[in-house]
Amino acid sequence: MLEVKNIKYAYNSEYQALKGVSLKIEKGEMVALLGKNGAGKSTLFLHLNGIYEPDEGQVFIDGEELKYDKKSLLKFRQKVGIVFQNPDDQIFAPTVEEDVAFGPLNLGLSMEEVQDRVEEALARVGMSGFEKTAPHHLSGGQKKRVAIAGILAMKPEIMVLDEPTAGLDPQGVVNLQKLLRQLNDEGITIVISTHEVDLVPNYAQRVFVLVDGLLIAEGTPKEIFAQPEILEQANLKLPIVTELFQELEQEGFDMENDYPLTIAEAKDKFLDLLSKN
Amino acid sequence: MKFDMDYIAHHNELTEFNPYFKLFLSIILLIVTLALDNLYFDVFIFVVMSIVILAIAKINYRSYLKFLSIPMAFLIITCIFLLFFFGKGDVIYETGIFGIVVTTDSYHYAVYTFMRVLGCLPCLGFLALTTPIAKVLNCLRTLKVPKILVEIALLMYNSIFIFLNEIDTMQKAQNSRLGYHSYWTSFKSLGALASTIFLRSLDKSETLQHSLDSRGYDGELPVYKPRKMEE
Repeated sequence: MLEVKNIKYAYNSEYQALKGVSLKIEKGEMVALLGKNGAGKSTLFLHLNGIYEPDEGQVFIDGEELKYDKKSLLKFRQKVGIVFQNPDDQIFAPTVEEDVAFGPLNLGLSMEEVQDRVEEALARVGMSGFEKTAPHHLSGGQKKRVAIAGILAMKPEIMVLDEPTAGLDPQGVVNLQKLLRQLNDEGITIVISTHEVDLVPNYAQRVFVLVDGLLIAEGTPKEIFAQPEILEQANLKLPIVTELFQELEQEGFDMENDYPLTIAEAKDKFLDLLSKN
Repeated sequence: MKFDMDYIAHHNELTEFNPYFKLFLSIILLIVTLALDNLYFDVFIFVVMSIVILAIAKINYRSYLKFLSIPMAFLIITCIFLLFFFGKGDVIYETGIFGIVVTTDSYHYAVYTFMRVLGCLPCLGFLALTTPIAKVLNCLRTLKVPKILVEIALLMYNSIFIFLNEIDTMQKAQNSRLGYHSYWTSFKSLGALASTIFLRSLDKSETLQHSLDSRGYDGELPVYKPRKMEE
Protein backbone atom coordinates (compact mmCIF):
# COMPACT_ATOMS: atom_id res chain seq x y z
CA MET A 1 0.00 0.00 0.00
CA LEU A 2 2.49 2.58 1.20
CA GLU A 3 6.11 1.70 0.98
CA VAL A 4 9.20 3.70 1.68
CA LYS A 5 12.50 2.33 0.42
CA ASN A 6 15.79 3.43 1.91
CA ILE A 7 15.03 7.12 2.05
CA LYS A 8 17.83 9.55 2.81
CA TYR A 9 17.35 13.24 3.28
CA ALA A 10 19.68 15.99 4.46
CA TYR A 11 18.64 19.54 5.28
CA ASN A 12 22.24 20.66 4.88
CA SER A 13 25.66 19.09 4.75
CA GLU A 14 25.86 18.82 8.53
CA TYR A 15 22.39 17.64 9.34
CA GLN A 16 21.28 14.33 7.89
CA ALA A 17 17.66 14.08 9.00
CA LEU A 18 16.91 10.68 7.48
CA LYS A 19 19.68 8.15 7.12
CA GLY A 20 18.03 5.41 5.09
CA VAL A 21 14.53 4.61 6.28
CA SER A 22 12.50 1.74 4.89
CA LEU A 23 9.03 0.80 5.97
CA LYS A 24 5.92 -0.79 4.58
CA ILE A 25 2.37 -0.13 5.64
CA GLU A 26 -0.45 -2.42 4.52
CA LYS A 27 -3.89 -1.34 3.40
CA GLY A 28 -6.34 -0.67 6.24
CA GLU A 29 -3.69 -0.68 8.94
CA MET A 30 -3.41 1.79 11.75
CA VAL A 31 0.21 2.24 12.69
CA ALA A 32 2.18 4.49 15.00
CA LEU A 33 5.56 6.03 14.37
CA LEU A 34 7.29 6.51 17.68
CA GLY A 35 10.28 8.69 18.24
CA LYS A 36 11.51 11.53 20.37
CA ASN A 37 11.52 15.15 19.27
CA GLY A 38 13.86 15.67 16.38
CA ALA A 39 14.03 11.99 15.42
CA GLY A 40 12.90 12.80 11.89
CA LYS A 41 9.22 11.91 12.11
CA SER A 42 7.94 15.09 10.51
CA THR A 43 10.62 14.98 7.85
CA LEU A 44 9.66 11.43 6.99
CA PHE A 45 5.99 12.38 6.79
CA LEU A 46 6.68 15.18 4.37
CA HIS A 47 8.15 12.57 2.04
CA LEU A 48 4.97 10.52 2.00
CA ASN A 49 3.12 12.73 -0.45
CA GLY A 50 6.02 14.31 -2.20
CA ILE A 51 6.50 17.59 -0.36
CA TYR A 52 10.13 16.65 0.08
CA GLU A 53 11.99 14.76 -2.57
CA PRO A 54 14.44 12.31 -0.99
CA ASP A 55 18.14 12.58 -1.81
CA GLU A 56 18.13 8.82 -2.20
CA GLY A 57 15.46 6.14 -2.15
CA GLN A 58 11.87 5.91 -3.34
CA VAL A 59 8.32 6.07 -2.13
CA PHE A 60 5.70 3.68 -3.47
CA ILE A 61 1.98 4.16 -3.17
CA ASP A 62 -0.25 1.30 -4.28
CA GLY A 63 2.87 -0.19 -5.79
CA GLU A 64 3.40 2.86 -7.96
CA GLU A 65 6.56 4.90 -7.59
CA LEU A 66 6.00 8.47 -6.47
CA LYS A 67 7.04 10.88 -9.20
CA TYR A 68 7.56 14.56 -8.78
CA ASP A 69 5.89 16.09 -11.80
CA LYS A 70 2.78 18.19 -11.28
CA LYS A 71 0.25 15.68 -12.50
CA SER A 72 1.45 12.71 -10.49
CA LEU A 73 1.88 14.85 -7.40
CA LEU A 74 -1.77 15.87 -7.50
CA LYS A 75 -2.77 12.22 -7.80
CA PHE A 76 -0.60 11.10 -4.89
CA ARG A 77 -1.56 14.00 -2.70
CA GLN A 78 -5.18 13.04 -3.11
CA LYS A 79 -4.31 9.50 -1.99
CA VAL A 80 -2.10 10.50 0.92
CA GLY A 81 -3.37 13.32 3.13
CA ILE A 82 -1.19 14.90 5.79
CA VAL A 83 -2.68 16.53 8.86
CA PHE A 84 -0.06 18.93 10.19
CA GLN A 85 0.85 19.14 13.82
CA ASN A 86 -0.19 22.73 14.26
CA PRO A 87 -3.60 23.41 12.72
CA ASP A 88 -2.64 27.08 12.35
CA ASP A 89 -0.10 25.99 9.77
CA GLN A 90 -2.78 24.30 7.75
CA ILE A 91 -5.91 26.40 8.05
CA PHE A 92 -5.54 29.56 6.02
CA ALA A 93 -8.94 30.52 4.64
CA PRO A 94 -11.13 33.16 6.31
CA THR A 95 -13.98 30.72 6.94
CA VAL A 96 -14.11 27.07 7.94
CA GLU A 97 -16.00 25.93 4.86
CA GLU A 98 -13.62 27.66 2.47
CA ASP A 99 -10.71 25.94 4.12
CA VAL A 100 -12.27 22.50 3.95
CA ALA A 101 -13.18 23.13 0.30
CA PHE A 102 -9.62 24.03 -0.63
CA GLY A 103 -8.39 20.45 -1.20
CA PRO A 104 -11.40 19.17 -3.16
CA LEU A 105 -11.40 22.31 -5.34
CA ASN A 106 -7.77 21.74 -6.19
CA LEU A 107 -8.75 18.27 -7.35
CA GLY A 108 -10.92 19.95 -9.96
CA LEU A 109 -14.25 18.54 -8.75
CA SER A 110 -17.57 20.17 -9.58
CA MET A 111 -18.84 22.78 -7.16
CA GLU A 112 -21.76 20.58 -6.21
CA GLU A 113 -19.50 17.64 -5.40
CA VAL A 114 -17.28 19.95 -3.34
CA GLN A 115 -20.26 21.26 -1.40
CA ASP A 116 -21.32 17.70 -0.62
CA ARG A 117 -17.85 16.79 0.51
CA VAL A 118 -17.49 19.86 2.71
CA GLU A 119 -20.79 19.12 4.40
CA GLU A 120 -19.94 15.47 4.85
CA ALA A 121 -16.43 16.10 6.14
CA LEU A 122 -17.58 18.69 8.68
CA ALA A 123 -20.32 16.35 9.86
CA ARG A 124 -17.78 13.54 10.23
CA VAL A 125 -15.61 15.53 12.62
CA GLY A 126 -18.61 16.99 14.44
CA MET A 127 -18.14 20.55 13.21
CA SER A 128 -21.40 21.06 11.33
CA GLY A 129 -22.79 24.49 12.03
CA PHE A 130 -19.37 26.15 12.04
CA GLU A 131 -19.24 26.61 8.24
CA LYS A 132 -19.13 30.40 8.31
CA THR A 133 -16.96 30.76 11.40
CA ALA A 134 -13.53 32.33 11.17
CA PRO A 135 -10.93 29.70 12.11
CA HIS A 136 -9.13 31.96 14.58
CA HIS A 137 -12.30 32.11 16.64
CA LEU A 138 -12.18 28.36 17.24
CA SER A 139 -10.54 26.51 20.11
CA GLY A 140 -7.46 24.35 19.59
CA GLY A 141 -9.45 21.13 19.52
CA GLN A 142 -11.96 22.53 17.06
CA LYS A 143 -9.19 23.78 14.78
CA LYS A 144 -7.67 20.32 14.80
CA ARG A 145 -10.98 18.84 13.73
CA VAL A 146 -11.34 21.37 10.93
CA ALA A 147 -7.83 20.49 9.79
CA ILE A 148 -8.80 16.82 9.70
CA ALA A 149 -12.00 17.66 7.82
CA GLY A 150 -9.89 19.51 5.24
CA ILE A 151 -8.02 16.28 4.55
CA LEU A 152 -11.08 14.01 4.77
CA ALA A 153 -12.83 16.08 2.12
CA MET A 154 -10.15 14.94 -0.32
CA LYS A 155 -11.14 11.32 0.38
CA PRO A 156 -7.63 10.02 0.92
CA GLU A 157 -6.75 6.34 1.12
CA ILE A 158 -4.04 7.04 3.62
CA MET A 159 -4.16 9.65 6.32
CA VAL A 160 -0.95 10.76 7.98
CA LEU A 161 -1.21 12.66 11.25
CA ASP A 162 1.74 14.43 12.80
CA GLU A 163 1.36 14.35 16.59
CA PRO A 164 -2.40 14.69 16.44
CA THR A 165 -2.89 14.72 20.21
CA ALA A 166 -0.37 17.48 20.88
CA GLY A 167 -2.08 20.39 22.63
CA LEU A 168 -5.46 18.73 23.04
CA ASP A 169 -7.24 18.41 26.37
CA PRO A 170 -7.96 14.86 27.65
CA GLN A 171 -11.51 14.82 26.35
CA GLY A 172 -10.27 16.07 23.01
CA VAL A 173 -7.78 13.22 22.87
CA VAL A 174 -10.52 10.68 23.57
CA ASN A 175 -12.76 12.13 20.85
CA LEU A 176 -9.93 12.22 18.36
CA GLN A 177 -9.07 8.60 19.05
CA LYS A 178 -12.68 7.62 18.52
CA LEU A 179 -12.80 9.51 15.23
CA LEU A 180 -9.59 7.96 13.98
CA ARG A 181 -10.78 4.48 14.85
CA GLN A 182 -14.03 5.06 12.95
CA LEU A 183 -12.13 6.30 9.93
CA ASN A 184 -9.87 3.28 10.12
CA ASP A 185 -12.89 0.97 10.30
CA GLU A 186 -14.14 2.56 7.10
CA GLY A 187 -10.97 1.47 5.39
CA ILE A 188 -8.70 4.51 5.61
CA THR A 189 -5.12 3.57 6.40
CA ILE A 190 -3.86 5.70 9.24
CA VAL A 191 -0.31 6.61 10.18
CA ILE A 192 0.27 8.56 13.39
CA SER A 193 3.46 10.01 14.72
CA THR A 194 3.59 10.42 18.45
CA HIS A 195 5.59 10.06 21.61
CA GLU A 196 2.64 9.47 23.89
CA VAL A 197 3.26 5.83 24.65
CA ASP A 198 0.15 5.39 26.80
CA LEU A 199 -2.15 5.83 23.84
CA VAL A 200 -0.27 3.81 21.26
CA PRO A 201 -1.40 0.30 22.32
CA ASN A 202 -5.01 1.49 22.19
CA TYR A 203 -5.04 2.01 18.47
CA ALA A 204 -1.85 0.91 16.79
CA GLN A 205 -1.69 -2.50 15.22
CA ARG A 206 1.96 -1.97 14.45
CA VAL A 207 4.62 0.37 15.74
CA PHE A 208 7.73 1.77 14.10
CA VAL A 209 10.48 3.30 16.19
CA LEU A 210 12.55 6.06 14.65
CA VAL A 211 15.79 7.23 16.25
CA ASP A 212 18.04 9.89 14.74
CA GLY A 213 16.86 9.28 11.23
CA LEU A 214 17.03 5.51 11.40
CA LEU A 215 14.28 2.97 11.90
CA ILE A 216 15.50 0.78 14.76
CA ALA A 217 12.50 -1.45 15.34
CA GLU A 218 9.09 -2.43 14.08
CA GLY A 219 6.47 -4.80 15.41
CA THR A 220 3.26 -5.04 17.38
CA PRO A 221 3.04 -2.84 20.48
CA LYS A 222 3.54 -6.00 22.56
CA GLU A 223 6.81 -6.79 20.81
CA ILE A 224 8.13 -3.25 20.95
CA PHE A 225 7.31 -2.58 24.58
CA ALA A 226 8.91 -5.85 25.60
CA GLN A 227 12.30 -4.49 24.54
CA PRO A 228 13.53 -2.01 27.13
CA GLU A 229 16.75 -1.31 25.24
CA ILE A 230 14.82 0.01 22.25
CA LEU A 231 12.69 2.27 24.40
CA GLU A 232 15.76 3.65 26.07
CA GLN A 233 17.46 4.32 22.77
CA ALA A 234 14.38 6.17 21.53
CA ASN A 235 13.98 8.23 24.70
CA LEU A 236 10.60 6.65 25.34
CA LYS A 237 9.14 4.92 28.33
CA LEU A 238 6.67 2.13 28.98
CA PRO A 239 2.95 2.81 29.14
CA ILE A 240 2.08 3.59 32.72
CA VAL A 241 -0.09 0.46 33.02
CA THR A 242 2.78 -1.75 31.97
CA GLU A 243 5.06 -0.09 34.47
CA LEU A 244 2.62 -0.93 37.22
CA PHE A 245 2.69 -4.61 36.35
CA GLN A 246 6.47 -4.67 36.20
CA GLU A 247 6.54 -3.29 39.70
CA LEU A 248 4.01 -5.89 40.78
CA GLU A 249 6.29 -8.58 39.38
CA GLN A 250 9.07 -7.40 41.62
CA GLU A 251 6.70 -7.97 44.53
CA GLY A 252 6.61 -11.63 43.61
CA PHE A 253 3.68 -11.96 41.22
CA ASP A 254 4.52 -14.04 38.20
CA MET A 255 3.59 -12.28 34.99
CA GLU A 256 4.79 -15.07 32.68
CA ASN A 257 6.43 -12.45 30.51
CA ASP A 258 3.10 -10.99 29.47
CA TYR A 259 2.66 -7.41 30.54
CA PRO A 260 -0.62 -5.68 29.74
CA LEU A 261 -0.38 -2.47 27.73
CA THR A 262 -3.89 -1.07 27.94
CA ILE A 263 -6.45 -0.62 30.68
CA ALA A 264 -8.62 -3.39 29.21
CA GLU A 265 -5.74 -5.87 29.17
CA ALA A 266 -4.75 -4.82 32.65
CA LYS A 267 -8.22 -5.47 33.97
CA ASP A 268 -8.24 -9.02 32.62
CA LYS A 269 -4.80 -9.66 34.02
CA PHE A 270 -5.81 -8.35 37.42
CA LEU A 271 -8.88 -10.53 37.59
CA ASP A 272 -6.74 -13.43 36.49
CA LEU A 273 -4.19 -12.79 39.24
CA LEU A 274 -6.89 -12.32 41.86
CA SER A 275 -8.58 -15.59 41.03
CA LYS A 276 -5.23 -17.42 41.13
CA ASN A 277 -4.35 -16.20 44.59
CA MET B 1 -11.23 44.77 27.12
CA LYS B 2 -9.33 43.71 24.06
CA PHE B 3 -10.24 45.29 20.77
CA ASP B 4 -10.89 42.57 18.22
CA MET B 5 -12.10 44.10 15.00
CA ASP B 6 -12.67 40.76 13.35
CA TYR B 7 -14.87 39.58 16.17
CA ILE B 8 -16.93 42.77 15.92
CA ALA B 9 -17.28 42.34 12.17
CA HIS B 10 -18.75 38.90 12.75
CA HIS B 11 -21.04 39.89 15.59
CA ASN B 12 -23.10 42.99 14.87
CA GLU B 13 -26.54 43.77 13.58
CA LEU B 14 -25.36 44.42 10.02
CA THR B 15 -23.13 41.37 9.55
CA GLU B 16 -25.64 39.56 7.34
CA PHE B 17 -26.56 42.72 5.43
CA ASN B 18 -25.80 42.67 1.69
CA PRO B 19 -22.03 43.17 1.46
CA TYR B 20 -22.18 44.69 -2.04
CA PHE B 21 -24.40 47.44 -0.76
CA LYS B 22 -22.06 48.13 2.15
CA LEU B 23 -19.03 48.11 -0.11
CA PHE B 24 -20.59 50.50 -2.62
CA LEU B 25 -22.00 52.76 0.03
CA SER B 26 -18.58 53.13 1.66
CA ILE B 27 -16.82 53.74 -1.62
CA ILE B 28 -19.37 56.24 -2.89
CA LEU B 29 -19.42 58.15 0.38
CA LEU B 30 -15.64 58.22 0.38
CA ILE B 31 -15.53 59.63 -3.11
CA VAL B 32 -18.26 62.18 -2.43
CA THR B 33 -16.62 63.33 0.79
CA LEU B 34 -13.27 63.75 -0.93
CA ALA B 35 -14.71 65.41 -4.00
CA LEU B 36 -16.96 67.90 -2.25
CA ASP B 37 -14.23 69.00 0.10
CA ASN B 38 -16.73 70.87 2.21
CA LEU B 39 -16.19 71.27 5.95
CA TYR B 40 -19.88 71.08 6.82
CA PHE B 41 -20.41 68.01 4.69
CA ASP B 42 -17.42 66.31 6.37
CA VAL B 43 -18.95 66.84 9.77
CA PHE B 44 -22.33 65.75 8.48
CA ILE B 45 -20.93 62.46 7.13
CA PHE B 46 -18.99 61.88 10.31
CA VAL B 47 -22.10 62.25 12.43
CA VAL B 48 -24.38 60.25 10.14
CA MET B 49 -21.99 57.32 9.73
CA SER B 50 -21.19 57.29 13.42
CA ILE B 51 -24.89 57.04 14.15
CA VAL B 52 -25.22 54.20 11.65
CA ILE B 53 -22.33 52.36 13.27
CA LEU B 54 -23.42 52.92 16.84
CA ALA B 55 -27.19 52.85 16.60
CA ILE B 56 -27.98 50.61 13.65
CA ALA B 57 -25.07 48.15 13.67
CA LYS B 58 -25.16 48.34 17.48
CA ILE B 59 -21.44 48.38 17.90
CA ASN B 60 -20.22 49.10 21.38
CA TYR B 61 -19.16 52.78 21.57
CA ARG B 62 -15.90 51.90 23.33
CA SER B 63 -14.89 49.60 20.48
CA TYR B 64 -15.76 52.35 18.04
CA LEU B 65 -13.65 54.89 19.92
CA LYS B 66 -10.76 52.44 19.92
CA PHE B 67 -11.18 51.97 16.21
CA LEU B 68 -11.02 55.73 15.72
CA SER B 69 -8.18 56.34 18.14
CA ILE B 70 -5.35 54.77 16.15
CA PRO B 71 -5.85 56.62 12.85
CA MET B 72 -6.76 59.68 14.87
CA ALA B 73 -3.33 59.73 16.46
CA PHE B 74 -1.70 59.68 13.03
CA LEU B 75 -4.10 62.29 11.79
CA ILE B 76 -3.34 64.71 14.60
CA ILE B 77 0.40 64.32 14.18
CA THR B 78 0.08 64.87 10.43
CA CYS B 79 -2.04 67.97 10.87
CA ILE B 80 0.36 69.47 13.39
CA PHE B 81 3.12 69.10 10.85
CA LEU B 82 0.94 70.57 8.14
CA LEU B 83 0.05 73.48 10.36
CA PHE B 84 3.59 74.48 11.25
CA PHE B 85 5.86 73.34 8.48
CA PHE B 86 4.00 73.68 5.21
CA GLY B 87 2.46 76.27 3.00
CA LYS B 88 3.17 79.81 1.99
CA GLY B 89 1.13 82.96 2.28
CA ASP B 90 0.42 85.50 5.01
CA VAL B 91 1.68 84.73 8.48
CA ILE B 92 -1.17 84.57 10.94
CA TYR B 93 0.66 83.24 13.98
CA GLU B 94 4.32 83.29 15.04
CA THR B 95 5.57 80.68 17.47
CA GLY B 96 8.84 82.53 17.98
CA ILE B 97 10.91 79.33 17.85
CA PHE B 98 13.27 78.93 14.89
CA GLY B 99 10.97 81.13 12.88
CA ILE B 100 8.24 78.49 12.76
CA VAL B 101 5.00 80.13 11.68
CA VAL B 102 1.46 79.33 10.79
CA THR B 103 0.37 80.78 7.46
CA THR B 104 -3.07 81.13 5.95
CA ASP B 105 -2.16 78.39 3.53
CA SER B 106 -0.96 75.91 6.11
CA TYR B 107 -3.91 76.66 8.35
CA HIS B 108 -6.24 75.94 5.46
CA TYR B 109 -4.42 72.68 4.62
CA ALA B 110 -4.43 71.47 8.18
CA VAL B 111 -8.09 72.13 8.84
CA TYR B 112 -9.30 70.74 5.55
CA THR B 113 -7.13 67.63 5.77
CA PHE B 114 -8.29 67.02 9.30
CA MET B 115 -11.97 67.33 8.48
CA ARG B 116 -11.71 65.33 5.30
CA VAL B 117 -10.06 62.42 7.07
CA LEU B 118 -12.51 62.77 9.92
CA GLY B 119 -15.37 62.38 7.45
CA CYS B 120 -13.79 59.41 5.69
CA LEU B 121 -12.90 57.41 8.79
CA PRO B 122 -16.42 56.31 9.70
CA CYS B 123 -17.13 55.49 6.04
CA LEU B 124 -14.28 52.99 6.10
CA GLY B 125 -15.17 51.99 9.63
CA PHE B 126 -18.67 51.20 8.49
CA LEU B 127 -17.31 48.63 6.06
CA ALA B 128 -14.53 47.32 8.28
CA LEU B 129 -16.59 46.98 11.43
CA THR B 130 -19.72 45.46 9.97
CA THR B 131 -18.44 43.15 7.24
CA PRO B 132 -16.38 39.99 7.77
CA ILE B 133 -13.34 40.05 5.53
CA ALA B 134 -14.39 36.83 3.79
CA LYS B 135 -17.44 38.62 2.41
CA VAL B 136 -15.47 41.64 1.29
CA LEU B 137 -13.04 39.39 -0.56
CA ASN B 138 -15.88 37.51 -2.20
CA CYS B 139 -17.35 40.79 -3.41
CA LEU B 140 -14.02 41.87 -4.83
CA ARG B 141 -13.72 38.55 -6.64
CA THR B 142 -17.08 38.80 -8.30
CA LEU B 143 -16.29 42.41 -9.22
CA LYS B 144 -13.32 41.09 -11.20
CA VAL B 145 -10.63 42.62 -9.05
CA PRO B 146 -7.38 40.93 -10.19
CA LYS B 147 -7.10 37.51 -8.60
CA ILE B 148 -3.58 38.05 -7.38
CA LEU B 149 -4.65 41.03 -5.25
CA VAL B 150 -7.48 39.13 -3.62
CA GLU B 151 -5.22 36.15 -2.93
CA ILE B 152 -2.55 38.29 -1.36
CA ALA B 153 -5.18 40.02 0.77
CA LEU B 154 -6.54 36.68 1.88
CA LEU B 155 -3.15 35.25 2.83
CA MET B 156 -2.19 38.49 4.56
CA TYR B 157 -5.38 38.47 6.53
CA ASN B 158 -4.65 34.94 7.69
CA SER B 159 -1.06 35.75 8.61
CA ILE B 160 -1.94 38.90 10.51
CA PHE B 161 -3.73 36.89 13.16
CA ILE B 162 -0.95 34.34 13.48
CA PHE B 163 1.54 37.19 13.56
CA LEU B 164 -0.35 39.14 16.23
CA ASN B 165 -0.73 36.00 18.31
CA GLU B 166 2.99 35.32 18.11
CA ILE B 167 3.83 38.87 19.10
CA ASP B 168 1.38 38.70 21.96
CA THR B 169 2.82 35.45 23.30
CA MET B 170 6.41 36.57 22.95
CA GLN B 171 5.72 39.91 24.55
CA LYS B 172 4.07 38.24 27.52
CA ALA B 173 7.06 35.92 27.84
CA GLN B 174 9.43 38.88 27.76
CA ASN B 175 7.29 40.83 30.16
CA SER B 176 7.20 38.04 32.69
CA ARG B 177 10.99 38.07 32.70
CA LEU B 178 11.00 41.85 33.21
CA GLY B 179 11.87 42.54 29.58
CA TYR B 180 10.17 45.92 29.67
CA HIS B 181 11.27 46.97 33.11
CA SER B 182 13.34 49.96 32.05
CA TYR B 183 13.89 51.99 28.91
CA TRP B 184 17.09 50.21 28.04
CA THR B 185 15.66 46.69 28.46
CA SER B 186 12.55 47.75 26.55
CA PHE B 187 14.69 48.72 23.58
CA LYS B 188 16.61 45.48 23.74
CA SER B 189 13.49 43.37 24.15
CA LEU B 190 11.73 45.07 21.29
CA GLY B 191 14.75 44.52 19.07
CA ALA B 192 14.90 40.85 19.96
CA LEU B 193 11.17 40.55 19.36
CA ALA B 194 11.38 42.12 15.93
CA SER B 195 14.22 39.93 14.70
CA THR B 196 12.71 36.74 16.08
CA ILE B 197 9.35 37.55 14.57
CA PHE B 198 11.04 37.91 11.21
CA LEU B 199 12.70 34.50 11.44
CA ARG B 200 9.54 32.88 12.70
CA SER B 201 7.50 34.38 9.91
CA LEU B 202 9.86 32.83 7.38
CA ASP B 203 9.48 29.50 9.13
CA LYS B 204 5.72 29.77 9.25
CA SER B 205 5.43 30.71 5.62
CA GLU B 206 7.43 27.64 4.67
CA THR B 207 5.19 25.35 6.72
CA LEU B 208 2.11 27.00 5.26
CA GLN B 209 3.50 26.40 1.79
CA HIS B 210 4.01 22.72 2.64
CA SER B 211 0.49 22.34 3.94
CA LEU B 212 -1.00 24.10 0.94
CA ASP B 213 1.09 21.96 -1.39
CA SER B 214 0.02 18.80 0.33
CA ARG B 215 -3.57 19.66 -0.45
CA GLY B 216 -2.80 20.08 -4.11
CA TYR B 217 -2.14 23.84 -4.31
CA ASP B 218 -1.05 24.81 -7.80
CA GLY B 219 -0.34 28.49 -7.30
CA GLU B 220 -3.92 29.62 -7.56
CA LEU B 221 -6.45 29.66 -4.74
CA PRO B 222 -9.74 28.22 -5.95
CA VAL B 223 -12.97 29.95 -5.02
CA TYR B 224 -15.58 28.07 -3.04
CA LYS B 225 -19.25 28.90 -3.54
CA PRO B 226 -21.25 27.71 -0.58
CA ARG B 227 -24.62 26.19 -1.23
CA LYS B 228 -27.43 28.71 -0.95
CA MET B 229 -29.22 28.29 2.33
CA GLU B 230 -32.81 27.17 1.94
CA GLU B 231 -34.84 29.84 3.59
